[in-house]
Amino acid sequence: MKQRPSTFPITLGELARIQPLASAAGVHVADPSRPVEQVVLAETFERLRRATPHSLVVLHREAATGGWSLATALHLAWERNLPAVVAPAGASPASAALAQRLKMSLLLIDADPVDVALRLAGQVEVPAAARALRQALFAERLADQTGIRGILGVLNSELETVPVALLVGDAVVAGRTAAVHEGPGVTRVEVEVQGPGRRPWARLVAAVPANGAGAGEQVESLLWLARPSLQAAWAHTRLDSSTHAAHEQAAFGLLRRLAVERSDAGPVDPAEVDTPSWSSELGWQVDAANRAVWLAPLHASGAPSEERTHLIRAAWQRSHATWPLIAEADGWISWHSSTDPDDVAPLRQAIAGFRDSAAAHGLVIGIGRAHQGVPGLMRSLAEARLAAHVAREGGPASVQWFDQVGAPAALAWLPIAEIAQVADLCLADLMGARDRDALVHTVLAVLDCGGSLSQASQRLGVHRNTVLARLARARQLGLTYDDPGQRLALHVLCYALATLWDASQSPMP
Amino acid sequence: MSESGYVGAIASIGVEDVQALYEGAKFYSPAVGDAGRASLTSWLAGLLERNGPVPLRRVEAMDPDTPCVSVCVIGSGSALADLPPVGDEFESAIRQIERLSGVRFGAVYPLAAATVSALVPVVAASQLGVPLLDADGMGRTYALIHHTAMDLAGVPVTPLVAQGPTGESVLIEVLAAPRADRLLRANVDTLGGWAALAAYPTTAGVLRRAALPGTVSRIVNVGRLLLERMDPDLLITRLGAITGCSRVGRGRIVELEHLSRPSDVTIPAHPSSLVVDETGGLGRQLRIELRSEIVAVFADGALVAAAPDLLCLLDVSRGELATLDSLEPGALVDVLVTPADAVWYSPEGTRMVGLGSHGIPLDHPRRR
Repeated sequence: MKQRPSTFPITLGELARIQPLASAAGVHVADPSRPVEQVVLAETFERLRRATPHSLVVLHREAATGGWSLATALHLAWERNLPAVVAPAGASPASAALAQRLKMSLLLIDADPVDVALRLAGQVEVPAAARALRQALFAERLADQTGIRGILGVLNSELETVPVALLVGDAVVAGRTAAVHEGPGVTRVEVEVQGPGRRPWARLVAAVPANGAGAGEQVESLLWLARPSLQAAWAHTRLDSSTHAAHEQAAFGLLRRLAVERSDAGPVDPAEVDTPSWSSELGWQVDAANRAVWLAPLHASGAPSEERTHLIRAAWQRSHATWPLIAEADGWISWHSSTDPDDVAPLRQAIAGFRDSAAAHGLVIGIGRAHQGVPGLMRSLAEARLAAHVAREGGPASVQWFDQVGAPAALAWLPIAEIAQVADLCLADLMGARDRDALVHTVLAVLDCGGSLSQASQRLGVHRNTVLARLARARQLGLTYDDPGQRLALHVLCYALATLWDASQSPMP
Repeated sequence: MSESGYVGAIASIGVEDVQALYEGAKFYSPAVGDAGRASLTSWLAGLLERNGPVPLRRVEAMDPDTPCVSVCVIGSGSALADLPPVGDEFESAIRQIERLSGVRFGAVYPLAAATVSALVPVVAASQLGVPLLDADGMGRTYALIHHTAMDLAGVPVTPLVAQGPTGESVLIEVLAAPRADRLLRANVDTLGGWAALAAYPTTAGVLRRAALPGTVSRIVNVGRLLLERMDPDLLITRLGAITGCSRVGRGRIVELEHLSRPSDVTIPAHPSSLVVDETGGLGRQLRIELRSEIVAVFADGALVAAAPDLLCLLDVSRGELATLDSLEPGALVDVLVTPADAVWYSPEGTRMVGLGSHGIPLDHPRRR
């Protein structure tokens, strides 16, 4: 916490936070940001008439006999531009109505007015001491809170006229959104909240009205005070990772259903699907352009185990703690949201950082294109998934951007292993041949090149006659590639066998 | 002579003026209820019918040497209703002073031309067969008997006689005027709760400078207006022509507060504060402070009218004066302020009957 004793006059709101005024009944509090420069113990109305502006007046004896005297005191306070009137308890509803009408703060106390005035005078004289006391009380209230929303609630109730919000990126995670709105005469106070490893995680933002001189400083010190509690609350939610994972999974399920329901009703305008508020509670951002990431195991092996999810999460969130990670049937989902759809730098950075872990866990990474809003996220997700399948060809830790995939992605869905088994049964002769690898690759090249022997020989790097010889031998072994009825089937078969053998030759983790 | 709408000094008070006299007297002391109304007015009407109208004379029209005496009722109005006058109290009180001083009074004048005390001087004048002076000592009512213009002018209040309805009387002579009221109050209960008072024996010449002129004919004129039951706005305009009164504001009673500040024993059991929300104009909150009468009106906490101003409430829906014990939340009222006679705004007058005497240490709005 910063220790900068302020010499700005204390405000009415600050005084009302600490004793003796903390126990006063606020019949009407017009403007808590009014500065209090002096305390006047008014025993007579004559004294009240001589009060200088910005003096808090405590009524006493003759001036505090209630009824008309309170009405007169309120009027004089209004005339003298005083911030508030403190009177002994027992004001009638009419006095409250008058205070409201004159926009004059009226506080009622049970204690002896002289005592109250003396204590107030001390507080006004040394605002730093009063502020320290207020901060101590505030810290006590903070200590009672364990949740992020609770902490923001305490902050907002403490600061009253100053809205405070917690921002992750540009999204308001908790607090009052009014804190983010820029307006004339509003100063913005920001305090960075760090996540694990001292990496920036979020920002506390407060919009301080300009009329409260010195308020910014005070607000900032309160925001600083709230920081450790926020970090603790955040860590607390992350510690319970299985709950958090389940929470994220459920939330994502809801999000997906939301997108589906909307698209069932007709073509979806991304702007029409409102982002549900609970998504921001998790720190998610889905409003802007979303680019999905699909982390998939190299070999599909059913739903990922909880332990594995935990390890992947730790690795993935090392650089971006707020990015979600949701376990799905055949991989993990994450996404990056940004107002600029072309902004891929954070994602590239994150993937570069994740590469080692991806290799260690035998993962491939598919990345979708950027699309707006919740429906956009779902679309990007489908793209990422497809890209991940394509990436499997490249072996562990390979990254595939959907932008670069196109139609060949269809091949990624072929059940290579099953097709290869078909070959074992139907083309037993071929499979038994020692040069089957060369034969299959040659037939594949010829089919790929539309029957052109010269192109195929160029691609394979062998002589045209060699190609011809291999084709003849292949035909003898059952690879009748020139039979129109079998060409597609054999083309697919050759592709499957070639892919499978290529993969088995590449080093396994 | 008693035509409706007539404004100006009148020459005599006859039977037909009794109701107007009563209504006008009420205007100048709105705190008093109507308990003894019928018995008093019929008594006076009977006297006037029997003895003829009582001549009403301006002080200047009298021989300066004419001995004069003031009369009024002291004590409680409800006691007067419970124990009505036998009839000779006022005459008897005056005769006692005559015997003591060895004079024969040539005229009677009201000590305070308001409440029943505005009627009894007519009774006394009719019984004694002397004229009534068109002047009085207060121009309204104040709480104590030395709160008079005569006292301010140096006329001694004593010798005074208080004659009770039981035939007993008290004669008081004091050196300092405030003592007279204290001595008197100690005796009023014993005398029967109320008493007929004869005080301030002096001459017409002294009264030319010491009394407030024209106050009796004024209440008759006010009473005539009030009896007409016209639209409140018109009524206030017409009253303004006679009394100089004006409207502070019109509003609805929203709250009756009891004892808004520590009271002393002399304050009767009236609600001590009344809050009215102005219905038109600025929508101000009018706070009306009550003692035995309305002593101050605050608009949004600022003092706008105060004793010695005469303050009263006009019930808008009924078009008549609202007595203080008839007030209830929800009623629509006009708050009227009538300036008192100039003498009460002098430093001496203010000290005697101003806001300070009611425990409100604020300057009169006219002095600020």
